[in-house]
Amino acid sequence: MAGSLIATDTTPWFDAEHGTLDRRIFTDPEIYQRELERIFARAWNFICHESQLPERGSFFKNFIGEDEVIAVRDRNHEIQVLLNSCPHRGNTVCRAELGKLNSFLCSYHGWNFDLDGTLIGMPGEEKFYYDDVDKSEWGLAKAAQVANYRGFVFATLDPAAPPLEDYLGWVGRLGIDMMAAEGELQVLDGIQKNRLQCNWKLAVDNLYDWYHVKITHGSAMRIGFLSEESMAPDSQMVILGEYGHGISGPRVTQAEIADFAARLENGQGEGQWYDTLLTRARARPEVQAQLGPIGSRSLGHPNIFPNLWITLTRQMCLRIPRGPFATELWWFTIVPKDLPEKERATAIYMANHAFGPAGLLEQDDGENWSHSTRGAKGTVTRTRRLNYSMGRGHDRVEEDDSGQARIETVVSEHAQRWNYQSWQEWMQAESWPALMENHSQPPKGVV
Amino acid sequence: MAAFHDLSLQERLLLTFEAEEFLYREASLLDERRLDEWLELVTDDIHYWMPIRRTTTAKEVALEFTQPGGMAFFDDDRKMLGLRVQRLAAGRAWAEDPPSRTRRLVTNIRITEIDGDEITVTANFQLYRTRLDSEEDTWIGRREDLLRRVGGELKLARRHIFLEQTVILAQNMSNLF
Repeated sequence: MAGSLIATDTTPWFDAEHGTLDRRIFTDPEIYQRELERIFARAWNFICHESQLPERGSFFKNFIGEDEVIAVRDRNHEIQVLLNSCPHRGNTVCRAELGKLNSFLCSYHGWNFDLDGTLIGMPGEEKFYYDDVDKSEWGLAKAAQVANYRGFVFATLDPAAPPLEDYLGWVGRLGIDMMAAEGELQVLDGIQKNRLQCNWKLAVDNLYDWYHVKITHGSAMRIGFLSEESMAPDSQMVILGEYGHGISGPRVTQAEIADFAARLENGQGEGQWYDTLLTRARARPEVQAQLGPIGSRSLGHPNIFPNLWITLTRQMCLRIPRGPFATELWWFTIVPKDLPEKERATAIYMANHAFGPAGLLEQDDGENWSHSTRGAKGTVTRTRRLNYSMGRGHDRVEEDDSGQARIETVVSEHAQRWNYQSWQEWMQAESWPALMENHSQPPKGVV
Repeated sequence: MAAFHDLSLQERLLLTFEAEEFLYREASLLDERRLDEWLELVTDDIHYWMPIRRTTTAKEVALEFTQPGGMAFFDDDRKMLGLRVQRLAAGRAWAEDPPSRTRRLVTNIRITEIDGDEITVTANFQLYRTRLDSEEDTWIGRREDLLRRVGGELKLARRHIFLEQTVILAQNMSNLF
């Protein structure tokens, strides 16, 4: 770390030894700018699911950090990710957030781009430009790399990024597999979007946080929207992945999965806390085979670094930075195409009533994050480090023949610590090669 | 089904006045945080719905709103509205503790249809919310309500809310519209 961004002493932003965090990372504009350059412009970012682009010309607009991008199905049915900026004056060439087009016509001077970003032509090409413009050079800029993992489309703006599957590693892949193992998926029409006045990292931090549930969401439990046992179980599993990916959420035993499957089969027996969190598919042998013996026992809650959360309720939430003090939450609801009608209706019911800005759970989250951000603005307040010590030194990473290393524990802050430690390494590295050389492998032994 | 404009001026005046009184009264109950009393004004079969709105090209403007049965911001029956009201009274409903301060302006009220005991009313609204020391949210939109006469009293049997925002520029929608 260099220059003015260093904390008052030599303590790093995240102090792994003591589990403390410099809260200036939530407000400092220079740190935010560096995040855009070293994290968002470098990482593989989730753009869309392939089901959102069913036909030639289907497009969906998204952001990589503050770079606006268009995902579009081109004439060869390939998915392209294009920067939404005309190379002539920089105007956006696509203003709608989704839909279908034949080409991108810039509204300023009429430069026209094909679905793969190629410049088709512009008014006055011959008369005003004397055919001087090499159209092959002046198309819409493309993301450096685009790749699809089981239908989930990611893009990176950095040509030096490793292949997507390497970037995801087994933990990132497992996070996506938890949805994809059920069968061919489809994003439902309608993405809930809202804007919070918080730093994006506080929203990410919260997805690993099983400590806040009983307090923040106390009202939703008191009215019986969801039971306390299912919302904040003590049995937890933490799986940490290279480059900052993680999965931290409730765990069950194989016996509990078998019990769940048997009760689905014969409709008998006592209901259990995990019934609302497990899916019918989780009991299927072929799904278990895809997730592995340990992955099958994790109910989920992955974050694909930096900002894609996959929920337990068939949703994904993208946390998009909008300056140091603002974040947009985009909620995608994603279900297997062949999901029985009743389960599909349940998924929509949960998606419409648990999360999103009017959700019975989500309503109470935003202000915590915005006030945590606001608290980091005070000149003296922000010099007080935050406590991320829960469970430190009390757990052990278990490894076995499955190769799926994990921590089986109670509620803890292992995943948040890993998230900030990884974040710090991304921020220190000047390039992808530097990051590949200087990043931590997930911890082993006592954590 | 009768066309509203087929009625006499006097009939239209009386009916519109009645609908206006109802809408002003329920807005006032919501502003005054008398949610239990507000809940008594809705029927058991109410559909309270706010679709998600998207920016589309002019050509594809038919895609602007999500459709009933799909994704939405609100898609509530009487039971879910009851849960929302209960939640606020349950304690630990932090989005409304301390409570927000709201003011609803309801205007451009027009009856568009009459069918037996039911009248369809469209109205524009502005909902202003301020919270703590400096937070402010404003929502403007149109509501399409179905009012039903039950035992001589008007009740709210359907409310479809169409906001002008696509990205909701607020940290939550902990209030009713």
